[in-house]
Amino acid sequence: MTRAPDIDRLHVPKGSAVPRVNTVLGAVPVDELGIVAIHEHIGYGMPGSELDSRWWKTPEQRYEETVPKLRQFHEYGGGTFVDATGICNGRDIDYYKSLSAKTGVHIVACTGFVGGDTALPHFARASVEYLTEQFVHEITVGIGSTGSRAGVIKVGVSRGGRMTDLDKRIYRAAARAAVRTGVPILTHLAIDPEPAVDIFRQEGLPLDRVLFGHADDGPNAPKTPHAWILEQGGRIGFDTFGYETELEDPPFWARPRRERLQHFISLVDQGHLDSLLASADANCSPLGWPGVKGHTVNYIFEQLIPDLRGAGLDDATITRLFVDNPADFLSIRS
Amino acid sequence: MTGIPASSSTVRTVLGPVRADTLGAVAVHEALLSVVPGAEHAFDVTIDRAEVFDVIAAALHDFREHGGGTVVDSTGMFHGRDVRLYEALSRATGVHIIASTGMGPEEMLGGYFLTPQTNPPTPWPADKFAGLFTQEVVEGMVVPRLERRAAAGLVVTAADDDGMTATEESLFRGAARTALTTGVPVSIRYGRDAVHDLQVVLDEGLPADRVAVGGLDRRDAIAAAAPAEVARLGAYVALDHVGVDDDDERYASDAERATLVAELIRAGHVERILLSSSSVAVAKGHDAPSVALHHVLSAFVPLLRSGGVRDDDVRRMVVDNPRTLLTVR
Repeated sequence: MTRAPDIDRLHVPKGSAVPRVNTVLGAVPVDELGIVAIHEHIGYGMPGSELDSRWWKTPEQRYEETVPKLRQFHEYGGGTFVDATGICNGRDIDYYKSLSAKTGVHIVACTGFVGGDTALPHFARASVEYLTEQFVHEITVGIGSTGSRAGVIKVGVSRGGRMTDLDKRIYRAAARAAVRTGVPILTHLAIDPEPAVDIFRQEGLPLDRVLFGHADDGPNAPKTPHAWILEQGGRIGFDTFGYETELEDPPFWARPRRERLQHFISLVDQGHLDSLLASADANCSPLGWPGVKGHTVNYIFEQLIPDLRGAGLDDATITRLFVDNPADFLSIRS
Repeated sequence: MTGIPASSSTVRTVLGPVRADTLGAVAVHEALLSVVPGAEHAFDVTIDRAEVFDVIAAALHDFREHGGGTVVDSTGMFHGRDVRLYEALSRATGVHIIASTGMGPEEMLGGYFLTPQTNPPTPWPADKFAGLFTQEVVEGMVVPRLERRAAAGLVVTAADDDGMTATEESLFRGAARTALTTGVPVSIRYGRDAVHDLQVVLDEGLPADRVAVGGLDRRDAIAAAAPAEVARLGAYVALDHVGVDDDDERYASDAERATLVAELIRAGHVERILLSSSSVAVAKGHDAPSVALHHVLSAFVPLLRSGGVRDDDVRRMVVDNPRTLLTVR
């Protein structure tokens, strides 16, 4: 895609520090992010899936499945890949570092959990204070012994459609960590958002620091109060683009392509462009499930951006969606 | 089955099958490295393999000096089990190490088993657990996402203290099916009702003498006369918290435990008694009792002897019974 000129949007006064984003290879200036895939996975598996050898692959297979997708992403003009794989879901920072270094794609890793039901017992039993320390440590000191710092915090709603007590503890800890460190929050699912919004307000976190994600998938879009979330000041993630009923073997969260696109365009038309983010939530090489054949992060370039153009969005709008909005969202707020 | 005649009675250790008559005194329910699932990712937990090795090796050396021959690591497949570390420890100390497959209670399971990526997210049924555990006996225990090593020597599982959950019933049934298929024994930790939990595995058609019921030195089990009932049903009565009473008042004291042992022997159940301490050589993410791995041999056996338990009965409880249980059928 053609990038809109960046010069006009740069208003960094002389001598002031440029906003930063934590990537697995270190902090980068926000202006270097380029086109961002805001919610993706190098590889995701439910905790415990590592015990089931049916999913195992050799490192050769892993790199073979992953590197070409990231290189293609880079060649299409993709700059940054935000990995939303939670602490217990097979998040593998050293692997991400090698992938980033060899493909040139910035990779932002997360701290946090995809949902309470993916937090293993050590964390499931933990207090809000302990979880906050875990997140803050991973954002400001590093993840394990890797030295890499998390750039976003992942939270989510457990299977079942309502926030559990553990989900709420994780949201509150994430809110506190976001306030303390300035990194934003990505959510898995935007259903049942009232308790989430209450928690963020109580903790003093501005809602533009929260991306309410998976607001667009088949089963959850009808249950997600998009207008209400936008009224509260939250951002909305249409970040499962490509999980569509047109696929050869669609997953249960698939949605017809046109329906999702029209839904998205309707929100743009209502003036919500600055609150919207889009991504594909694909796995480069799934860890504990078969994955979805034919779906990759490059759906963004191969299908979504052409579809958005076809729906009448101009280049400046597309740049806002994939460059400016994510840059504003990901910048660490001081 | 390297170098062992097919006709021999064998036990599966982390270094491969060994003749059952070489086990010596067996600590049948212990933990070498115990890690609460997830603690390996915690910002305040470090696992220094060399340091962990030193601590466990010291415990194994002490155990050996007190006459111990074999340790059963009963933590299952998802609570810190580290097969390669155990291989190195066994070689370095000369103590046989038998590691276990299995999982439980439900609270200790990963989301993969409880909320799978299906719609609806139905927890795993017994057959799938049986498949997972059986592979660990037939094909070898996993080093997650990397490789399989030696065969698991037993299947362990546990029920919640508040009573067996539906998924725990699946775990118990899956463990029993694994034992039936592979010939290794099952070691269960009961939840609220020992006899009920035992009946679940017996309901799968598993002979009772292939089952050890752990936790029977809990005060509530003793009050309910569960140890004698479990023995009467033909399963092994694991009094497996020997020496932990200083740390955990839910369990009987060693003096009370010695009385229980004497009663069980008098009732004719000596062939069903197992003694162990549930010691934890290295704990990560949780507190562990301070009891030593050698406590049964160094402290409890002398206590039993002073109470009049005969040497041959001691030998049955610490050598013969665990050997019979652990021998692959």
